[in-house]
Amino acid sequence: MAQKEFSVVGKKIPRIDGYERVTGQAQYTGDYQLPGMLYARVLRSPYPHAKIISIDTSKAEKLPGVKAVIHHQNAQVPWASGGHTHKRYIFNNPVRYVGDSVAAVAATDRHIAEDALALIEVKYEKISHVLDAKEALKPDAPKISPDGNLSVGKGSFSAPITEEWGDLEKGFKEADRTFEDTYISKHVNNAQIERRVSVAKWEGAKLTVWASTQGVSNARTDIAKDLDLPLSKVRVICKYMGGGFGNKNQAQDYDLMAAVLAKVTGQPVKLEFTREDDFIGMHGRWASEQHYKIGVKKDGTITAVDLDAVTNVGAYRKQSGNLSGTDFYQIPNFKKVVKPVHTNTVVGANYRAPAYPQSVFGFASFLDQIAHELGVNPLDMFMRNRVRLYKSKTPFTSNFLEECIVEGAKKIGWNEKWHKAGATPGAKKHGIGMALGGYPFRPGLGAATIRVNPDGSAHVLVGVTDIGTGAKSTMAIIAAEALGIPLNRIQLTNGDTDVTPFCIGESGSRATSFTGPAVIAAAEDVRRLIFNVAAPQLKAKAEDLDLKDGNVFVKSDPTQRLPLGRAVARSGELIGRATTNPVFKGVEGKSFAAHFAEVEVDTWTGHVKITRYVAAHDSGTILNRLPAESQIMGGVMQGIGMALTEELLIDRPTAIPLNPSYRDAKVPTHLESPEVEVIFIEHSDPYGPFGGKVIGEPPITPAVATVANAIFNATGRRFKELPITPDKILRAVRV
Amino acid sequence: MEEEAKGKGVSRRDFLKGLGGGAIGTAVISTGLLDPGKVEAYPTESIGTSRGKSAVNLKVNGKAYRLEVEHRETLAEALRDQLGFTGTKIGCDRGECGACTVVINGRNIYSCSQLAVWMQGKEILTIEGLAKGDKLDPLQEAFIEHDGPQCGFCTSGQIMSGKALLLRNARPTEEQVRRALSGNLCRCGNYNREVAAVLAAASKVR
Amino acid sequence: MKSFQNVDVRSIKEAVSLLQKFHGEKKSAQVVSGGSELLQLMKDHVAAPDYLVNLKTIPGLNYIKEERSGFRIGALATLTEIEEHKGIREKLLFLSEAAGEAASPQIRNAGTIGGNICQRPFCWYFRSSNFNCLRKGGEVCYAIAGDNRYHAILGGGPSFIVHPSDLAPVLIALGARIKLAGPAGEKTMPLEKFFVLPQVDYKRENILQPGEILTEVQIPHPKPGSKGFYHKVRERQAWDHAIVSVSAVVQAKGGVCQEARVVLGGVAPIPWRAAKAEDFLRGKKVDEGSAQKVAEIALEGARPMKDNVYKVGLAKSLIQRALLASV
Repeated sequence: MAQKEFSVVGKKIPRIDGYERVTGQAQYTGDYQLPGMLYARVLRSPYPHAKIISIDTSKAEKLPGVKAVIHHQNAQVPWASGGHTHKRYIFNNPVRYVGDSVAAVAATDRHIAEDALALIEVKYEKISHVLDAKEALKPDAPKISPDGNLSVGKGSFSAPITEEWGDLEKGFKEADRTFEDTYISKHVNNAQIERRVSVAKWEGAKLTVWASTQGVSNARTDIAKDLDLPLSKVRVICKYMGGGFGNKNQAQDYDLMAAVLAKVTGQPVKLEFTREDDFIGMHGRWASEQHYKIGVKKDGTITAVDLDAVTNVGAYRKQSGNLSGTDFYQIPNFKKVVKPVHTNTVVGANYRAPAYPQSVFGFASFLDQIAHELGVNPLDMFMRNRVRLYKSKTPFTSNFLEECIVEGAKKIGWNEKWHKAGATPGAKKHGIGMALGGYPFRPGLGAATIRVNPDGSAHVLVGVTDIGTGAKSTMAIIAAEALGIPLNRIQLTNGDTDVTPFCIGESGSRATSFTGPAVIAAAEDVRRLIFNVAAPQLKAKAEDLDLKDGNVFVKSDPTQRLPLGRAVARSGELIGRATTNPVFKGVEGKSFAAHFAEVEVDTWTGHVKITRYVAAHDSGTILNRLPAESQIMGGVMQGIGMALTEELLIDRPTAIPLNPSYRDAKVPTHLESPEVEVIFIEHSDPYGPFGGKVIGEPPITPAVATVANAIFNATGRRFKELPITPDKILRAVRV
Repeated sequence: MEEEAKGKGVSRRDFLKGLGGGAIGTAVISTGLLDPGKVEAYPTESIGTSRGKSAVNLKVNGKAYRLEVEHRETLAEALRDQLGFTGTKIGCDRGECGACTVVINGRNIYSCSQLAVWMQGKEILTIEGLAKGDKLDPLQEAFIEHDGPQCGFCTSGQIMSGKALLLRNARPTEEQVRRALSGNLCRCGNYNREVAAVLAAASKVR
Repeated sequence: MKSFQNVDVRSIKEAVSLLQKFHGEKKSAQVVSGGSELLQLMKDHVAAPDYLVNLKTIPGLNYIKEERSGFRIGALATLTEIEEHKGIREKLLFLSEAAGEAASPQIRNAGTIGGNICQRPFCWYFRSSNFNCLRKGGEVCYAIAGDNRYHAILGGGPSFIVHPSDLAPVLIALGARIKLAGPAGEKTMPLEKFFVLPQVDYKRENILQPGEILTEVQIPHPKPGSKGFYHKVRERQAWDHAIVSVSAVVQAKGGVCQEARVVLGGVAPIPWRAAKAEDFLRGKKVDEGSAQKVAEIALEGARPMKDNVYKVGLAKSLIQRALLASV
C-alpha cells in the first residue's frame, strides 16, 4: 500500500508545453502556412442513399482560382480504415448518408473553394434509405452493405459481437426475481473545438501530411497503405492538436483528399472542414438500444445477465460498435449479443471510451431501478455487485473499486443524503445517484528514444501527439523519473514520424500504458551506457552506480559522485532506445471508478442542476497529477452533456441532420459545469509504468448513469432514453 | 446496389503517376436534378464576380496596420492569415464556440463574426499581445499554473474573455468569472480550471 | 459567404436613400448592425445580399437617454450597454437581466437592440440551406411533418417559427414604442404592432418595408407600484434560446392587480401578449388561485404540435411563477 518515494512522478507539475499553449505560439495543423498553399473544401451528398449518375465539374474548374476538383471518377482512392465491412473509398458511389463525401476542390483561397462547391453539378438517382438500426435489420430493408445491414467484417469487426460465460439458464433459475427492460442512447458528436484540417505537401515522391491526429504512426501506416506508398515516403506530423476524443485517430479521408489534391496541383493543400462538416462528415458515438434481462437475489446480488442489443454504426463500420458497460459488475452467468448495424446516417464510431458510457447508462440505470423495486439502497446494490474477477474468472492487476465506492460515498455524504425516490416536497427536488465505471488497461507495443547530451540534458523522442491529456508531460515525467534527472533537463520531441519512433496513438488511454514502459526501458538502456562511461571516472564498477537528481553516484558511498554533465562530457551523445511489447498473462488490467452526484430538478421547468459531484478513481499511481485531475473533470463534463442535452437529430422525412452546430447540438457551457471533487485511490499497480494505470477514458464511463440515477432519486421517474432533456422531464412528472 | 466506378476513371496508381491539373475526368453535362427542397441561396452566375475589396487601418496589439481585405474576409481570417496571429483560433466560424475571441476596444467579441473591413480605427488585442516581451500576463501565468489548457484550442479565447473581464472588474467573484467566460466552449471540459485560473490572476494583479 | 460589397454610411438618411437606390436597381441589400446574426445567415447561405449597408459607422446611434417620460434607446445600443446601464438597472432591472440573458457575452458586446428586435428565426429548417422552406419562398413548412419540439404552440400557421428575441417580449410588456425611418419619413408605433403573424404574411417577421430602418426604442416609465419579471427557460444556461420565456409587468395595490401585461416568448411567431389573461387579472387579488387561472386563460387556444406539447404546461408554470413573484 505504501507508495514508493518518487522525485517527479505524482507531483503537481504544470504541463511542459503550457507556455506555448497560453501564448498562442503552439502551432496546430490549421496554423501552418506554406508557400503556394491552396485551400480545399469538400462537397457532400444531400441524400441519404443515392447513385451518382454524373458529376460535371466544368463550371467549378472555370472559376478563377480553382486549381483542381476530384471525385469518385478521377480519384478512386481506398480509405481502408474508413470502413471495415463494405469497401470504403474517399469518394463513394453510391453515397450512403447525408454528408457522405462527393468531391473536393482546391483553390487559391478558401472563399473561392467554397464558391466552387456550388458550381459542381451532380446528378443523383435516389435509392430507398433506412435510418433506424432495428428497421435496418429487417429482411426487406434497403441494403447499405451488399451483404445486408448487420455489419459483418473480419476479426474485431465481426457481427454480432457475442460473449458468454457461466450457465445463463442456471443463473436465472437461481434468481429470486427476474427483470427485463430496454435502455436507449443516442448518437453524440465528439465536438472537439479544433475542426478537422489536413495540410499535405509532396516533395518529389515523398509526402508530408501535417495532420490533426491522435496517432501519427497509424496515420502514416494508413496513408501509405491507401496511397500505395512505402512507409519511408510518408511523413506525418502533429505537434499540437485541438482534441478528438477518438475521432482523429488513424488517417482520415480528408488527409487522403489533401494528399491527392496536392499531387494533382503540384502545390501544398490545406483541406478544412466547416463545423457542419465536422458534425456530419466524420463520426460520433454509436447510438444503442440495449435490452437487458437480469436475474437477482432478494438482496440484489446478480445471478445472471442477458444483454441483447443493437448499435447504430451508420453508413460505414469504422470501429467496434460494442457495448461493454457490464465490465465493472460481477456477473456469474452472462450472455451478450450486440449487433452493430448499418443505417444511412452519420457514422457511429469512437468517442471517449467508445463502448462504455452508453452501456453503463443502460446497465447501471437498470441496476438502480432494480434496487428501487427490491427496496435496496443503491449503494448496497452497487457495492454488492462490483466486479471482483474479470469475466468471473481472471484476477485484475489491481482492483480498488471497493475503496472508490467507500471513499466516494463518504465524501458526498451518501448515508446522510440518500432518501427514497421523489421524496422531496415542492417543485425543486433533491436527488442523489451513483454508478461504477472504469476502462481497460492493456499493455502493447511502444517505442522511445532517449538521447543524453554531453551537458547532461536529455532529449526524449516519442510519437505521442498530446490531444489534451498531457501525454507529452507524462512521458517527460516518466523519463525524468526513470533516468534520474530533473524534469527541466528534459526536452521532449513528439509527433513526427520522421523523427519519433512508433506510438500507438492516444486512444483507448494507451499512450501511458504502451509508450510509458518503452520510455522506462529506453531510460534503463541509456543509463547502462552512462554507467559504463562514468565507472572509470568514479573508480567503481558500472553495476555499483546509480543516477538520481542529475548526479551519478556510487550506491555504497553516495559522496562519490559526479554531475551527469561532467560524467558524459567526453562521450558525445549517448542514445538509449527501446521497443517494448509486454503481455499480461493470466491477469486483466482495468482502471476503476465510482461516481456520485447530487442534483436539484425543477419539476416546473425540467431544469437539472448538478449541485455536487464526486469522482473516485483507482488509476494506480497518478503519474502526472495536475492533468490527471483535469482529465477527470473533463470526462465528467462530457458525460453531463451526454446525459442532459446532446443528441444528433435527423429530420425523419428527408434524413437531413438538423443540428450540426454547437448551439443546436447543445454542447455544455461554463454554466453547466458543477464543481467536481476528485478522489484518487492510489495504489501502485504492479504492471503499470511506475504503477500507473489508465486515466483518460475512465471518467466519462460512469458519469451519464450517475446523473441519470440522481434524477431518478429526485423525481421518482426513470428515464430510459437519453438525453434527459427538460421536455422529457416535464412529460414524466406531469403523469 | 454498389456501382463503384470499376474500370472507369482512374485508379489510385494512375493518378499518382502524374495526373495533371487539366486531365480531370469528363462527364456528361446535365442540369442537376435538384431536389425540390434544396434552395439555391444565390444564382450561380453571380459567383466569381468579386465585389468588395478595401484597405482598412486598424491597430493590433498596439501596432498600426493597413490591410487590404476582401469584404467577406472575417477579422479572424485577417488576423490569422494576413498578420500571422494564429493564436486566435477558428472553432466553428459561427459565433458559437468562442475560440476566436479577441478584445476589441476593451470588449471580448467573436472575431469570426466581425468583418475585417468593419475594424477601421479599432484597437484589437489578441493572445499574442498579452505578454510584454518575456513577461507573461498574470492570466497566462495563472493558466499554466492551474492547468487551464488541456488540448489548448479554446485557451486563447478563454484567456481573452478573462482579460476583457479583468480590464473592467479587477475583483470578480467566481460567478462573475464564469459568466464572463460563458461564451467560450471547452469540449475537454476544463471549465473549472479556467475559472480558477482567472480568479488566481485577479488576485495576483491586486 | 458569397462575395458582396460593404458600404459604410454616416447617417440614417444616407442609409435609407442607399437602400432605396438598391431596391430601385433590383440589387439585393441588407442593413447590418452588430453583424453576428447576418454573417451567420450568410455563411449558411440563407442570406446572400450583394450589398451590406453598415449602420455601425453612424455616429451616436447607441445612445441610452433617461428622460422624464421614460428611456429612449438608439437602435445601435449594444445588449451589453443596455445590461450595464445604471439607469436601466435601477428602474428596469428585468430589462437589464433580459439583455444579459441573450446569447453570450461576446454576442452581447456586438449585438444591438435594433438587431435583436429584427432578427430572423432560429428554426433549424429556416437556417439550413438544405430546406427551401415556406418562409424562404418554398412550398412547405418542414416543421409540420418534421421535428417541431422548439416550434410554436400559439399563433402558428402556415409557418410555425417562434420569435427568438429575448428583449422584444420584455419591451412589449413595458409598452415600448419604436421609431422607424424610411423613404416616407419617420414614424413611431407600438412595438407590439411591429411583428407579423404568419397567417398575415409568412415570409416576414416584421412590417419593415424596403428602405425602412428601426432607429429608436422608447420605453415609458412603468407606473408606480409596478414590478417587472423576466424568466427564460432553456436547455443550456448560456448561448441558448428560450424554450419558453415570460415577461410580465404587474402593477398591484395591496396585492390587487391594477394593470398587467404578460408576454410570452418562445411560443409563437411573434412575442405573444396574453391579452385575455391580462383582462381577467385586472382588479383581482394576485394569489395562487388567480395565477393559475391566468395561466389557463393565457394558454387557451394553444395548438401544440406533435413534439412540443410540453411547452403548454411549461408556459403555464412560468406565468404562475411570474405573477406570484410580482407581488
